[in-house]
Amino acid sequence: MVELMTPLLQLQDVDLSFKGVRALREVSLAVNPGELLAIIGPNGAGKTSLFNCISGLYSPQSGAIIFEGQNIVKAPAHSRATMGIARMFQNLALYEHLTVLDNMLVGCHHRYTSAWWADMLWTEGAQKQEREARALAEDIIDFLNLEGVRKTPVGVLPYGVLKRVELGRALCMEPKLLLLDEPAAGLNREETEDMARYILDIKEDRGITQILIEHDLHMVLDLADRVAVLEFGNAIAVGTPDKIRNDPAVRAAYLGNSEDTI
Amino acid sequence: MPTRPLVTSYKDDSRLFADIWHKIAWTLALVVLVAWPFMASARWLTIGTQTLVAVVGAVSLMILTGFAGQISLGHAAFMAIGAYTVAVAGHVLHLPFWLGIPMGGFAAAIVGLAVGPFALRLRGLYLALVTLGLIPIVAHILLSFPELTGGVSGISVPMHTGFSAVEGASSLGDMTAAWHVAGLELSFQTKLYFLYLGIATAVCLAGVNISRSNTGRAMMAVRDSDLAAEALGVNPAKAKIMAFGISSFFAGVAGAMYAFEQQYITIEPPFDLHMSVHYISMIVIGGVGTIFGAVAGAITLVMLSPLVETLTAGLPILSDLTSAQRSTLVFSVAVCGFLIFEPLGLFGIYLRIKRYFLTWPFRY
Repeated sequence: MVELMTPLLQLQDVDLSFKGVRALREVSLAVNPGELLAIIGPNGAGKTSLFNCISGLYSPQSGAIIFEGQNIVKAPAHSRATMGIARMFQNLALYEHLTVLDNMLVGCHHRYTSAWWADMLWTEGAQKQEREARALAEDIIDFLNLEGVRKTPVGVLPYGVLKRVELGRALCMEPKLLLLDEPAAGLNREETEDMARYILDIKEDRGITQILIEHDLHMVLDLADRVAVLEFGNAIAVGTPDKIRNDPAVRAAYLGNSEDTI
Repeated sequence: MPTRPLVTSYKDDSRLFADIWHKIAWTLALVVLVAWPFMASARWLTIGTQTLVAVVGAVSLMILTGFAGQISLGHAAFMAIGAYTVAVAGHVLHLPFWLGIPMGGFAAAIVGLAVGPFALRLRGLYLALVTLGLIPIVAHILLSFPELTGGVSGISVPMHTGFSAVEGASSLGDMTAAWHVAGLELSFQTKLYFLYLGIATAVCLAGVNISRSNTGRAMMAVRDSDLAAEALGVNPAKAKIMAFGISSFFAGVAGAMYAFEQQYITIEPPFDLHMSVHYISMIVIGGVGTIFGAVAGAITLVMLSPLVETLTAGLPILSDLTSAQRSTLVFSVAVCGFLIFEPLGLFGIYLRIKRYFLTWPFRY
């Protein structure tokens, strides 16, 4: 069923190299609207490089990245964010001097249309936008159960909460496509389960398309609609979790040629 | 008794004077500020006026360095542009001061916007070096037109209130004459003080509004991590250039205020590296990242040297030094002390005092 829709995001032969290292080799991938696509692969397979290409922090040497029918491969990162591509960083990139609320409001940046001079004069229009953004940020804070720390500077919060703040900041962008780079890395069992629940809620209640990079294979195979496997910059398999579980190439990449199962 | 009212709307939450304590404190501050020119001696009135100039200068540097994280050693150059713009506007063109001050701001902002693009590719110390280069460049340009700027011998800064010259007014403009309002005699110094109090209040409000709005958050996002800012849809180039433009406008205004206060200006000194470093010390001592810090730092540093001169006059070893040496000594000890013991500056001390009273009688 999902295969019949026009994809939200399509990568065509994306090729990225750093001097001698070829990080991505002609990767082609389609992401359908509303689906949760997981990307797995061993360390150094090019998963985060792929995210950086999609969000515009790296520009691939060749290939096309088509988002909503538009080739965005030349667009700068900030304009891709405005188009609706949000991301969560693997190593947290929160503004530690700002409060949780202010971090969320930075995520709301593209909603603001008030000019700098209107902000400086604190005009009625600027105040109205501030309140609207605040309402959206509070909705996300409520969704992620961050009410108690909204006025706390991010720098003093524990790691598990920071992951939620970073997810919230990405959600404040009201994205069409959300890139999650290892949202559960470093979390304990309980926090991982909470994160999984948030990811499912984002998919089902908010209808946001997500691409998930994760090393916790149980989480990936339980959550994802489809799974793509990268190895040394090649996309070696794409399919449903069941298909991936039994794919010989994937098993070879992960387990070597043994008889174990994933 | 609750110490603060219950916040029931987002509008309430963004109020400047959130509770009764803020209102009491600001009313007291207002009384002191208005009474100052009538209570203080002529010397301390001048110091008060100079403090207000420093407040505007420190707020403008705070917007650039504290909010947007762009280190600038060229602050003195922007102030020199503002100062010389009002000097030429008053001396040569006979324009009134209320036109000259914004002109000084715009002239500095144009240069600031021209320097801004350098910040797109340079950061930290490299940007500091580029902005440092601005000081000799501006000095050289000003010295190259001695018929306009007076060259090395300097230029007087007349303060006109209107376009046409008033009969019998001094060569320093008709603003220097005392006014008689409702039985009170307002000297030039008093008038200047109240004018600067108004400008400084407006600039501080503008700074606070930037820091609590989208524009300021975009700057802070770029300061802390421009990569993440870009992924969130903030255009780092726009935020940096905006910071340069706004900051240099206010620096130009501060320079204009400085010129009117001095009445006669030369290029070097005062518009040299020493002045830039002085302003950086103000925002460091006050606490980087807040308008409170800029104001507190400016007040402390300007008031420090006369205070030190008065207080150390009778002390055994210190009184052997000249007054300039004494204030330099205390100034350097203060900067080092803050960097070691309270990196958040006076703002950090304020936060600690506030927390003490909020949690009283518990200590944590």
